[in-house]
Amino acid sequence: MEIDRRAFIASLGGTAAVSLMDSEAKADALEHWMEDSLDQQAAAGQGAAPEKFPTVAELEAQIETRNYRRGTGNVFVNTRGNVKKLEAMPKNPTLQDFFRLRFAPANHVLQSATRALKTGMSEEIILACLLHDCAQALMKSDHGWWGAQLFEPYIPEKSAFGIRYHQALRFYADADAGYEYPDLYYRIFGQDYTPPPHIEATYKMLRNHKWYIEPRMVTVNDLYAFDPNAKVSIEPFTDIIGRHFKSPKEGLGNDNSPSAHMWRTLANPDAPL
Amino acid sequence: MNRPFLTMIFAVCLVATTAGQTGKPTNHKGLEITLLGVARAQNVPLLDCPPGTNSQRGNARGGEEFAIVTLAFKVTPAFKETIVKKPVMTDSTGKAYNTSVAIIDPGSLPAYECAFPFRVPAGTRVASLQIETATIDLASLDKK
Repeated sequence: MEIDRRAFIASLGGTAAVSLMDSEAKADALEHWMEDSLDQQAAAGQGAAPEKFPTVAELEAQIETRNYRRGTGNVFVNTRGNVKKLEAMPKNPTLQDFFRLRFAPANHVLQSATRALKTGMSEEIILACLLHDCAQALMKSDHGWWGAQLFEPYIPEKSAFGIRYHQALRFYADADAGYEYPDLYYRIFGQDYTPPPHIEATYKMLRNHKWYIEPRMVTVNDLYAFDPNAKVSIEPFTDIIGRHFKSPKEGLGNDNSPSAHMWRTLANPDAPL
Repeated sequence: MNRPFLTMIFAVCLVATTAGQTGKPTNHKGLEITLLGVARAQNVPLLDCPPGTNSQRGNARGGEEFAIVTLAFKVTPAFKETIVKKPVMTDSTGKAYNTSVAIIDPGSLPAYECAFPFRVPAGTRVASLQIETATIDLASLDKK
């Protein structure tokens, strides 16, 4: 087994701490460290056989093993049991109300927006990151387009552009912008997946678009927002939402906007018709 | 496992670490930055700097690989909270490469290590790393 000397000594508190240990304690520490490293390597798939990703055909073969479709929005299905009764929305619901009552826990989008904020990106991009996957509550398939449609009446055009097109750009690595093709897509789309023609055509259009960087930065922050231990909240975005989200006084869903019906569906997904 | 053997390995580790200086520290905005090594891989964890526990990993395409530059950061009293831009790596022909890893809240921990992957054509010889105005020589530690 290869030993990372620096990591091992750091795990003990550095060379000063090590100097206070007797030989027996040092041997114990090394043995424990080697066992832990083996466990970690096994868990991470390092030093062992690389993770085997499914093929497109294998994923397709799973379709009839489920009682729901993978593109179904999160408010409509619970893949691990029955759905729960939802808390009613306030009379004039705001974006923050939807975050709390329908998009929650929303950890991924909050992490993504936090990264955009901390790396000094524009407020339009930060807002796009905050909202980029929220439409998955309603519909997962084509969620970029659904999301842009949902938010378009209320947000800057650049933010809507970022939300709509991050869906296409995520399949195309861009080292210059700092975006790598993730394992996640091998896992959920299949290792041999190729994007459909409309996504390919959209990608080609975007490469020459003056706003290319908007959806690209959404994809860049997207990848770094899967930390199960990250502590995030919507509070740091209150001002940005206030500046850029035109919240209707009647409440989302009651304002007769082109996407009001989508907000009403999110508010009451138990309506039978 | 055999105890005398483990004790011996331990002693070798300790000596090698304290004696094997991997790079001369560079000071930038109150951050003491030391090059620890350059490695190669096809699949890398996507962890910002300082690293958290993000679960995603990135993949190189055919004919490419990641050159992974590992740096140690030590926050000195001179450090003041600021944004530090992503490093840029230059190969031996002068071509520049970006990384997906961002430096976020660099003063949040007193000391930490970060790995910066750069997707390059397989076999690329790396030359230097630039963090804003600081330059770190990579050539001597590139394990190709």
